[in-house]
Amino acid sequence: MANTVIGSSIVIDGEISGDEDLVIQGTVKGKISLKESLIVAGSGVVEADIDTQNVEVAGKVTGNINASDRVELKSDCRMVGDIKAPRILIADGASFKGNVDMDVGKGR
Amino acid sequence: MAIQSREGAGVATEIGESILISGSLEGDEDLTVRGRVEGNVRLTRTLIVEASGVVKADVAVKDAVISGVVVGNVTATDSVQITADGRMVGDIAAPRVIIVDGASFRGRVDMGDVDAARHDGAGAKSLPRPAGKASSSAARSTQLARSSARESGRPASPPRPPAGSSAPLPPLMAGAKKRVILKKGKR
Repeated sequence: MANTVIGSSIVIDGEISGDEDLVIQGTVKGKISLKESLIVAGSGVVEADIDTQNVEVAGKVTGNINASDRVELKSDCRMVGDIKAPRILIADGASFKGNVDMDVGKGR
Repeated sequence: MAIQSREGAGVATEIGESILISGSLEGDEDLTVRGRVEGNVRLTRTLIVEASGVVKADVAVKDAVISGVVVGNVTATDSVQITADGRMVGDIAAPRVIIVDGASFRGRVDMGDVDAARHDGAGAKSLPRPAGKASSSAARSTQLARSSARESGRPASPPRPPAGSSAPLPPLMAGAKKRVILKKGKR
């Protein structure tokens, strides 16, 4: 259950870590590492390196994403940075600049 | 995914139990902490530290309600409340400070207005003749008390009375000190 929400007026500069879902509607700069899902809502702005299981991006992300399961870029999102994950979904309308690495060729 | 109901600026931010935030956190909405926050917290609204919450930070907010653990100085433009489950070490500066029975607290309390009253009372009368020695030593001792309290949560001070009565303590102490100075002066 996501019981952590960073509201739209909140600005965090630093590091966030934890074992639960995190919803970001505000601004986070620094570093995020979670064992669960990160959801960057439409109003969310993240300038951070992200290390999680799942990432769902509807807002703006600048930084590299390393997910152990999947990354989903929703329409209207803006993402700049590299993505490394076994499953990566990019919806129509999403804007993205960076490298994608699905670990192809490592015998998955 | 429990996205909170949005009502204008009244969105609530919640930091869940397993979450650790280290760094600075700023915002214009209520913040509920059930996990850990380390660094700086600045809000124009209310900080709520729930029983499972740990905040090791300098905090500047409008209101603070502490039911968990807070280590650091708290400055509030309105009120600071330490509930029965709350534990706090650090200094509090706020016009309204509420410490309920069962709360544990170590640190200074500054309610602002009290300071103003002390200056009014002590100002004109005690200064004329013997001011030099007495008032300068008094000033030094208050400064020392302040700096030691700031640096390490007043290690040198005697053990505090039960938490419930610690909020009104500073004015009483200030009054006592003033009287002592006056007596010395007349002799």
